[in-house]
Amino acid sequence: MAMHMDKGSVVVAMSGGVDSSVAAHLLSDQGYSLVGVSMQVWDYKRNCGSGSKATCCSPADFCDARMVASALDFPFYVVDFEKTFQQEVIDRFVDTYKRGLTPNPCIDCNTKVKFRALRDRAKSFGCDYVATGHYARVAQSDTGYHLLRGRDRDKDQSYFLYTIEQDELAQTLFPVGDFTKSEIRELASEVGLVTAHKPESQDICFVSGSISDFLVNIGGATPKKGNFVTSKGVRVGQHSGVHQFTVGQRRGLDLGGSSEPLYVIAIDATSNTVVVGSREELEQSDFGVEAIHLVSPALRRLAAKNESFEIDAVVQVRSRHEGTPARVRFDVSTGEAVVVWKNDWAPASPGQAAVFFDESNEELLGGGRIKSSCG
Amino acid sequence: MFIDLDANATLTPSSAVKRRLFLEEGIFGNPSAIHQSGQRTRALVERTRRSIRDFMNLSSAHQIIFTSGATEANNIAIHNGKGLGGTLVASSIEHPCILEPLLKIRRSGERKVVLIKPSSSGLIDKESVIAALDAECSFVSIMLANNETGVINDIADISRAIRAHFPKVVIHTDASQVLGKVEIDFSTIDADMITISGHKFGALSGVGALAVRPGLSLSPLIMGGSQEGKLRGGTENVTGILSMGLAVEELQKFGSERILRAAELRDRFESEILSLLGDVSIQGKNSPRLANTSNVSIAGVRADDLVVALDLEGILISTGAACSSGKIDPSHVLLAMGLSEEQARSTIRISFRGDESPEVLYRLADTLPRIVNTMRKSTIRGVEINGNAYG
Repeated sequence: MAMHMDKGSVVVAMSGGVDSSVAAHLLSDQGYSLVGVSMQVWDYKRNCGSGSKATCCSPADFCDARMVASALDFPFYVVDFEKTFQQEVIDRFVDTYKRGLTPNPCIDCNTKVKFRALRDRAKSFGCDYVATGHYARVAQSDTGYHLLRGRDRDKDQSYFLYTIEQDELAQTLFPVGDFTKSEIRELASEVGLVTAHKPESQDICFVSGSISDFLVNIGGATPKKGNFVTSKGVRVGQHSGVHQFTVGQRRGLDLGGSSEPLYVIAIDATSNTVVVGSREELEQSDFGVEAIHLVSPALRRLAAKNESFEIDAVVQVRSRHEGTPARVRFDVSTGEAVVVWKNDWAPASPGQAAVFFDESNEELLGGGRIKSSCG
Repeated sequence: MFIDLDANATLTPSSAVKRRLFLEEGIFGNPSAIHQSGQRTRALVERTRRSIRDFMNLSSAHQIIFTSGATEANNIAIHNGKGLGGTLVASSIEHPCILEPLLKIRRSGERKVVLIKPSSSGLIDKESVIAALDAECSFVSIMLANNETGVINDIADISRAIRAHFPKVVIHTDASQVLGKVEIDFSTIDADMITISGHKFGALSGVGALAVRPGLSLSPLIMGGSQEGKLRGGTENVTGILSMGLAVEELQKFGSERILRAAELRDRFESEILSLLGDVSIQGKNSPRLANTSNVSIAGVRADDLVVALDLEGILISTGAACSSGKIDPSHVLLAMGLSEEQARSTIRISFRGDESPEVLYRLADTLPRIVNTMRKSTIRGVEINGNAYG
């Protein structure tokens, strides 16, 4: 064991995966006193059947988390967050799809569940900090707290954290953010954690089959057939429901007869129409962003002093996008912004998050929700 | 500081059972073996059977069937209740090991199942039992004391009324929570089957028994051996059974005194908490209760969080029933008593053993209000904050 300095007490959110297990190990080594918490957010057995292939947060994963806590000798509890998760994540997820938009359940979960509900619990357990296994970093300066990308760019998860508040950053620890995934796995093996060789969790944690099946069986969606049309209004095929599509999608459209690949360029949930077209038609020079939230102290100061302002930024428009340079114009009174691409562009799906980083693509400045171009 | 006796009474520090068990000789033979080692084990098992029967003041003709615990004993009772052919009646506040088999029978459509609600004070009264019965009824199961509230039902009175109107009905009572927590003479309660649970009165986990009235013919739930009068196949859990014998000896020596002391601690705790905290109610307070159990609803607090916060301070209690996963449904007992889901979710159970030092009360009086006040503040803060996104 490392020397024990009392650095404070931490609730560490443990999914039962390798990242949060190593996060706990690192904090314990640094001298924090830990309380392990697995968040019971979803009844996998009821919703996915006992043969669920859910990749984290199932009872078996909690058992792994419990064994890690026992090996590292700190108390561990499973805490019930099902109601919050249902309201803030599942209902919103289903509703967003029904409206023909692309939801961000991971962002909702981070904002409302991990960094709000969990922090509340941490306080009532008498703990000073909340720690998670996110690949992201927090830095402190004279001006405040800065959220940085994780050192491992392939695994970086800062995109999902753009709604975090300054006071939340002050009480948040991301111990694995300074490591690469392979270093984390090595550490887990060295320490002998039971989770060292567990496979990665993928996709959306609460959906064990297809999203379509989930929306129908759990979300109570009744998919309505609709048409694929071109931007000129020509009908080119039929689909079984708009919830299966997202703007920018190319695969799974099942439309033959076109010489060039077709992309989803717009979705109209009211008429059940999916507009398809070429990559050029998908291209936008700019797009709107709403429900802006600013993280960086510098930008927050700008917003406090100005009605509107502009910055150069690197903008990330989905989780697996490394970011593209753009000019961002903020309108403080409406809480909205316009992103104007520079030389290159990336397809922006309404409903998804657009997250702004500084020009070195290192510090997360803020973000918001991509507006629907049809209004 | 362990004040969760109702969940498990084995591992309390002063338990002599654990220490004595491993000094006991002759527990290595199979009690069914012919050789002398087996004979010694058999003798110990039978001696324990007799001492449990005597402690409960049941006749020597009563059968004691050793089981893997109260869950199995209750399942045997329901299995045989179903075998009688008529309607099955139980209270809606029984333990899930009564309710789940009954609900399965109801779903299958094989038998009619009727569940009786308690009063708001947690009691199952005689009138509502009689009102639920008809000529088709053949089996009634009402628990002696509830595992969450500690409320004691007057099974003697209920049995008398049932026998007067429906003499053929077989009566079972789950007495898992009773031994060592209230003085009771089982010969007066007139039940045909009585369930007891070893670890609830100081024996090891994984052992219990069903006491059966002479002349009542049962069929086994677990088959495959002639053990326990052909009513429960499988080699006896000898260590567990002997631990029950030792626990009974402990109760004979110290039980009465502990019950008095537990009641004193519990009552002092309740009057203190009522004076220290606002918005607190004690469930079943005006009903006859186990001496040691207190079921406390604290408004504005999530009980499962309170249990965690107290554990981190070294105080071990529980929300209603001990639970094996993180999934916490609001207590069916409290809901049946008319509490709202929110009230049920803010209810804890504290259960004394009776030999705690008075320090336990000082620590509770110091810790509980502090944590509750923090939680009540944080609940207010937990309301959605719609701050200016730019601010």
